[in-house]
Amino acid sequence: MIIVGRGLGDVPFQFLHALLAYLGDSICPDSPSSGLKSPLASHPSSFYPGVDTPSEGLIRWKLRLEYFAYETLQDLRIAKLFDIIVDYPDSSPAIEDLKQCLDYTGQHSKLVDSFISALKYRLLTAGASTNDILHQYVSTIKALKTIDPAGIFLEAVGEPIREYLRGRKDTIKCIVTMLTDGSGGNASSGSAGDSLLEELNRDEENQENIDFDDDFNVDDKQAWLSAQRWEPDPVEADPLKGSRNRRKVDILGMIVGIIGSKDQLVNEYRVMLAEKLLNKSDYDIDSEIRTLELLKIHFGESSMQKCEIMLNDLIDSKRNNGNIKATLPKTSQAGDEVGKAEFSLDALDATIISSNFWPPIQWDGGLGWLAGNKEIARTGWDFWYLIRERPIFCAANGPCKSWAIFFMSGAHYTINPSDEPVILPELVDEVLSDYAKRFHEIKTPRKLIWKKNLGVVKLELQFEDKAVQYNVTPLLASIIMQFQDQTDWTSKDLAAAVGVPVDILNRKINYWISKGVLSESVGEDVNDHIFSLMEGSDSNRTGIHGASNDELMGDEDGDRSVATIEDQLHKEMTVYEKFIMGMLTNFGSMALDRIHNTLKMFCVADPPYDKSLQQLQSFLAGLVSEEKIELRDGMYILKK
Amino acid sequence: MTMNGGYSDNTPTATPAVVPAKQNVAASKTVDTQSVLKRLQSELMSLMMNGDPGISAFPEEDNIFSWKGTIHGSKDTVFEGTEYKLSLTFPADYPFKPPKDKWSSAYDVSTILLSIQSLLGEPNTTSPLNTQAAALWSNQEEYRKMVEKLYNKPSTT
Repeated sequence: MIIVGRGLGDVPFQFLHALLAYLGDSICPDSPSSGLKSPLASHPSSFYPGVDTPSEGLIRWKLRLEYFAYETLQDLRIAKLFDIIVDYPDSSPAIEDLKQCLDYTGQHSKLVDSFISALKYRLLTAGASTNDILHQYVSTIKALKTIDPAGIFLEAVGEPIREYLRGRKDTIKCIVTMLTDGSGGNASSGSAGDSLLEELNRDEENQENIDFDDDFNVDDKQAWLSAQRWEPDPVEADPLKGSRNRRKVDILGMIVGIIGSKDQLVNEYRVMLAEKLLNKSDYDIDSEIRTLELLKIHFGESSMQKCEIMLNDLIDSKRNNGNIKATLPKTSQAGDEVGKAEFSLDALDATIISSNFWPPIQWDGGLGWLAGNKEIARTGWDFWYLIRERPIFCAANGPCKSWAIFFMSGAHYTINPSDEPVILPELVDEVLSDYAKRFHEIKTPRKLIWKKNLGVVKLELQFEDKAVQYNVTPLLASIIMQFQDQTDWTSKDLAAAVGVPVDILNRKINYWISKGVLSESVGEDVNDHIFSLMEGSDSNRTGIHGASNDELMGDEDGDRSVATIEDQLHKEMTVYEKFIMGMLTNFGSMALDRIHNTLKMFCVADPPYDKSLQQLQSFLAGLVSEEKIELRDGMYILKK
Repeated sequence: MTMNGGYSDNTPTATPAVVPAKQNVAASKTVDTQSVLKRLQSELMSLMMNGDPGISAFPEEDNIFSWKGTIHGSKDTVFEGTEYKLSLTFPADYPFKPPKDKWSSAYDVSTILLSIQSLLGEPNTTSPLNTQAAALWSNQEEYRKMVEKLYNKPSTT
């Protein structure tokens, strides 16, 4: 070390000793001592009390020593920065140390280089979940904001993370979840009860000065104030990245920056919202309304208009539902014990949607539908069904208008509007038509069109010893209800009875088999399985007793009711596929950029090409894997 | 419209009949450029979406008046399996100014390319540009050999 070489006296060594002792204590950022203010920061020059008027040499030494001390601490903090940020905000004192050191030494670029390499090594790997990466990204923004209020280094540090996240398919989804969903079901860290959006909003209320993209309409006074605060960009700032004036660390902006445009984010949110609303079993949308209001603040009313209509649909549905039930003659509910075979509208809740404003609703022949809330008496076997469900309808001015939605959502489904694929138990169907009739009376000329493949059925099965509740899809409810009248079904017959193809039935019915309600055996025809009701003993039904009574919808794979953004995107992209094939036919080979620019230039018809380079790249990767094109040395060529 | 067969060295010997005289692209600007642009855009769209698989064309990078075209030799002709590149240059008053007699503004890129493609298989040998090729036409087997001999696979650049 320099100091040793210069042969100074004991003083620096004492100081070094003190310094190292201090550092030794606080290497671990969450140890209690890190909460103390750094002794360096508070008493930078009090460590040799014996000297009254230091000589020039001593002053120089003092400065050198101070610099060395700051630098040492800074290096130490930089080396641990990744962990410090993981623990942020608990580790904020360490960040404060770093800020003071950097202010003194000015070695910000060291921080940038070291942190980027730590990120690449520790975070941006296939093993890290997208959620973790996003959380680290947000923590990084928050932490570095202290050190670097103008966001210059943040720009450099954030870029590799953004770049990496753009390559992940689930990024948008995770971002939307993180922004809007406080409980964050899949936040592996299990942190934060609040959504990020709530948090951002709170922060902004605290610092009144910050207003999302409101830079342009500040009044004169504010403009003067900000002019007075003007400071030049740090020397490290990249002049290409625009003026510092619009730099303000804006967490939301930096998150949206990952995706490229807020529209994509809003679209993804719309799909998630649709899914959420369609799976609700009541009309309680308070939290959705709050989230929407927050999103409106940040993204503007007009972007959120469709989402607002969706929520209004729910509110209207609730009112309509109430009105329709009010038309019913009062019947005594109290007398309705399990076992009553009469069906009424009382337990049926309908959601009426303005289909034009909802994302395309997936028509999946596998999702059957049921409707009606009822106790159905059955005879012969030892269970009862209590069906409480919530079918989803479409209302449109013309009876067939809303069906267009089905055609939109996927070319492989063809369905004739008059040809309802799922067959509902008669009782349920009657209630549905009754409901629709009453709706029409109230809302003439509007008519209800039931989408029997959507909704939630609350179902209670009564066994000899126990009643168990299930929340299932209408198809599953329809399947199990078939067993009321007949204990054994072949898969073909059962599929015909509920109106779905056999392969879908075989897949779906596994739910009831796994619950121990049904059993499966191979009949005479190998392809025709036989499903039977499990009789009697407890041991057969352990699955039921073990299960919670609030099963998820059994929608593990591909049974989403709303077409995902990827599906929609892919459909749009197939239009562009023809263009891409066309240009490659004529130009031989093209680089990604050129394909992108060519599409932008010439694909201006409906729908205009508006994709990001990343989206195009992943789409091209899809074409490569379909062996339609090849990628060679960065150039795309037609596969011959 | 100007078409230069021979973007690569594959100018088929039978095509001269359809190659019209060159014309100045920077012609009169009296016609509304916007409508020409629209017309070309929509031709591109329909060519991409419903184009015949044997023909294709696409505007060059930044100029919608200048296209590259590709024609595949029709099946069951001596040109089967070969591919020809063309340059198409549209005048600013496309499609109203006739590049040659018997032009109609109803023609479009797709019909032009298809005409050329079919002319490959059924050339007008009574008024040939390349008399040698026209003489050889009667012997399809020999002609095929000649095509194979002279054909250079277009490079992918």
